[in-house]
Amino acid sequence: MRRRTWLLSAAAAGGALVVGWGVLPARSRLGAPHLLPTAATEVALNGWLKVRGDGQVVLAMARSEMGQGVHTALPMLVAEELDLALDQVLLEQAGADAIYGNVAMFVASLPFHPAQTEEGHRSTSVKVAQWMVGKLARELGINATGGSSSVADAWDVLRMAAATARASLLAAAAAQWSVPVQELRVRTGVVSHPSGRTAHYGQLAAAAVALPPGAVSLKPRDQWRVLGQAWPRKDLPSKVNGSAVFGIDVRPPGLLYAALRMSPMLGGSPARLEPDAALRMAGVQRLVRLPSYAGSSAGFAVVGSSYWSAQQAVQAVQVDWQQRPTGALDSQRIRAQLEARLARDDGFVFHESGDVQKLFAQANPAAGTPALVRVAASYHAPYLAHATMEPMNCTAQVSQAQVTIWVPTQVPQLARAIAAKVAGVAVDDVSVHVTSLGGGFGRRLEVDFVAQAVRVAMDCGGRPVQLIWSREQDMGHDFYRPMHSAYLEAALDSQGVLQAVRIRSAGDAITPRWMERTLPALAGPVDTPDKTTAEGLFDLPYAIPHQRMSHAATHHGVPVGFWRSVGHSHNAFFSESFIDELALLAGKDPLAYRRQLLAQAPRHLAVLERAAEKSQWAGPLPAGRARGVALHESFGSIVALVLEVSLGPDRTPRVHQATCALDCGTVVNPGIVAQQVESAVLFGLSAALYGRIDIRDGVVQQSGFGDYPLVGLAQAPQVQTWLLQSDAAPTGVGEPAVPPVAPALANALFRLTGVRRRELPLMPA
Amino acid sequence: MELQINGKSQACEVDPQMPLLWVLRDVLNLTGTKFGCGVGACGACTVRVDGQAVRACVTPAGSLQGRSVQTIEALGTPQQPHPLQAAWLAEQVPQCGYCQSGMLMAAAALLQAKPQPTDADIDQAMTNLCRCGTYQRVRAAIKRASGQQPVGAAS
Repeated sequence: MRRRTWLLSAAAAGGALVVGWGVLPARSRLGAPHLLPTAATEVALNGWLKVRGDGQVVLAMARSEMGQGVHTALPMLVAEELDLALDQVLLEQAGADAIYGNVAMFVASLPFHPAQTEEGHRSTSVKVAQWMVGKLARELGINATGGSSSVADAWDVLRMAAATARASLLAAAAAQWSVPVQELRVRTGVVSHPSGRTAHYGQLAAAAVALPPGAVSLKPRDQWRVLGQAWPRKDLPSKVNGSAVFGIDVRPPGLLYAALRMSPMLGGSPARLEPDAALRMAGVQRLVRLPSYAGSSAGFAVVGSSYWSAQQAVQAVQVDWQQRPTGALDSQRIRAQLEARLARDDGFVFHESGDVQKLFAQANPAAGTPALVRVAASYHAPYLAHATMEPMNCTAQVSQAQVTIWVPTQVPQLARAIAAKVAGVAVDDVSVHVTSLGGGFGRRLEVDFVAQAVRVAMDCGGRPVQLIWSREQDMGHDFYRPMHSAYLEAALDSQGVLQAVRIRSAGDAITPRWMERTLPALAGPVDTPDKTTAEGLFDLPYAIPHQRMSHAATHHGVPVGFWRSVGHSHNAFFSESFIDELALLAGKDPLAYRRQLLAQAPRHLAVLERAAEKSQWAGPLPAGRARGVALHESFGSIVALVLEVSLGPDRTPRVHQATCALDCGTVVNPGIVAQQVESAVLFGLSAALYGRIDIRDGVVQQSGFGDYPLVGLAQAPQVQTWLLQSDAAPTGVGEPAVPPVAPALANALFRLTGVRRRELPLMPA
Repeated sequence: MELQINGKSQACEVDPQMPLLWVLRDVLNLTGTKFGCGVGACGACTVRVDGQAVRACVTPAGSLQGRSVQTIEALGTPQQPHPLQAAWLAEQVPQCGYCQSGMLMAAAALLQAKPQPTDADIDQAMTNLCRCGTYQRVRAAIKRASGQQPVGAAS
């Protein structure tokens, strides 16, 4: 069968398989069997799957497990199409071939308005851009875990890989037994024929590898046994007995430990080091100077026989630090610069419809048309740290031009590339072992700590060394969620109907900075518009006749990075707080007001209605409590969140109940989705209540959980998750419930206090 | 010095000031106990000393002579998991999992002191931080392990 026909028949057999043109998996992404290393008893059937002698199947796992459940969700796709029990699918880390790259994440990064990318409404230029980026992403093959994209990206590829493998295995059985393939049945990896013959996959694999799969179709939805069920996570048994191996847990023979100090002034460096006293301490071996790597500040590491001895010694080094050559960073000054930039120009216009200018002119009181009311508000969000529970770390061994790294990373190939560069070896001479990640949230899309560990290992005579950042280094040398400011304006008619919205915002763009430091070969000579700056502001789901949404990208020099839900994390606070303000101005209930604006957005409306129903939005409340709502779409998924909030005796906000409705397309594992919603709500709540990073004289003022607090168990709300039924392809899960938390909380607080909070965090420092 | 770790006597030639966390991790290769902050703020390093929950990152090894240390590695066995470990799986508590050793050890100490803890008891005892926000499942699992009705289990 020709390739296109094959793809189309597979797509048709999948039922309502909605796949963007740009992300349709090329058949080449199934990969050839030789891509998988095999033991004597194993047979690879394509680049993703091999069959063991005992009939179990090994999946090449190209995504990192950082808590989001991907090491369960992806094998579920395989188990379904191969008719295996979930525990018959084993995982091995994938190699570096381009087939393992993340295509969906890169295609989703294009700055298109959702109306431009809807099936059936895509213009030729949108299709061409998606195709080109999809093609480029396939060529590049960047294996990245992020952008809530793992399941979306794997959805077709892994199911087709499994279905193709199954077809070959069945063809092998049919040939061996001389029976028609249609008469064969499969159950938990055992092929049987009514004549009584049976064979498990391991007995068929060697013959199957030479057989073309023939006509391949994906299993129709009504025959699913695995997908859509809350299967227990495969990684959890190891996480309740201490045996899961995180980055700091690897123990290669002869391991040394390294502790680190970087310039407390971001971008600074040591001017003078006096290490003698430190080097005389027990168990201490050497000091290694570290230049700036991949966006880090310069500093030094001390190597010792335990992390404690290294840490004691690194603190004992006498050092004079110097500021970066271009002057000290200061977050208050940057804030003033953002406000000035907002006043000066619009930057890039991400979306425009109707004629905002004309409407606003009409709403001007001097124009004498009181039928239109004009309103404006300024919003602000601070820098934020990721604060993963496992501090940054990497273990490296450099011996005879061979480099081995063990690292909790979201980007193994980029880690490999920088390790090769630092050690001066070819990429093929670097082996990467990806461990479990003690949280990622975007921080582990960076490779600064990898470069540092390799540099330290180069001085350790072939012995492996484990570089671990202290909590203070981790907090003070993050790639921060950038500070953003926004100015939102609207015009409402005399009925309170929203006629026009103009949003201007400003803040640092992340993507060009990340490209410069982690993918320098692809970094452009000039910054192009970065969707992450405006996502969640330029693409509002509401029916607003006149819109103009722009963002002025700045570049202040603070290291900025991708932080769980990225631009949505601040933009949803701006837009969904502002919508609440407009509802008040219109004299409407905030939920009813949104409902009215969503008349032409049935998916959003359904999500909102579910949250309204389950939170009993209109129902009675205990005295002293109020509800706040926010609705937001990100990573292709739609979330409505209702928070029930009171004020404690000290006026501290207390969230009692969080009711979250989510449409994330087809649900692969509802248990994991609920976990991720709970996680995202708590992550968003810590940021909304407490999260702020301040920089003075170049120094990050927060240094740990004392001054960068997280919500604890005693303050944690009960989170209830309600999933909408959908046949659409799966969309994001790990991030989409973060953005609505801050606005829902601010909206509830307004109802409690009558005070509109337009700046995060909501708790004073 | 001699330390009693997981029911075994261990001879450790270490500086008495060395925190228990690093003795466990770097000397004894018991890596289930995690490093999170180094100042006793997050609880990722929680172990039990004579049954009580203790933050190993701020507990000098020298203070432990004659006392009995239990780490996550000895909370249960594959054949006989601790009721908390079974409840943790039943409630599907962990996400990234990094803080969970400490969570479990703190919960084990709580259940030993209060076999039927109230919500207020749980609030007070479980001060460990979790960046993944597993708290409501931690609470449900503690209730389950103590034979109480788990409330607010995941829907």
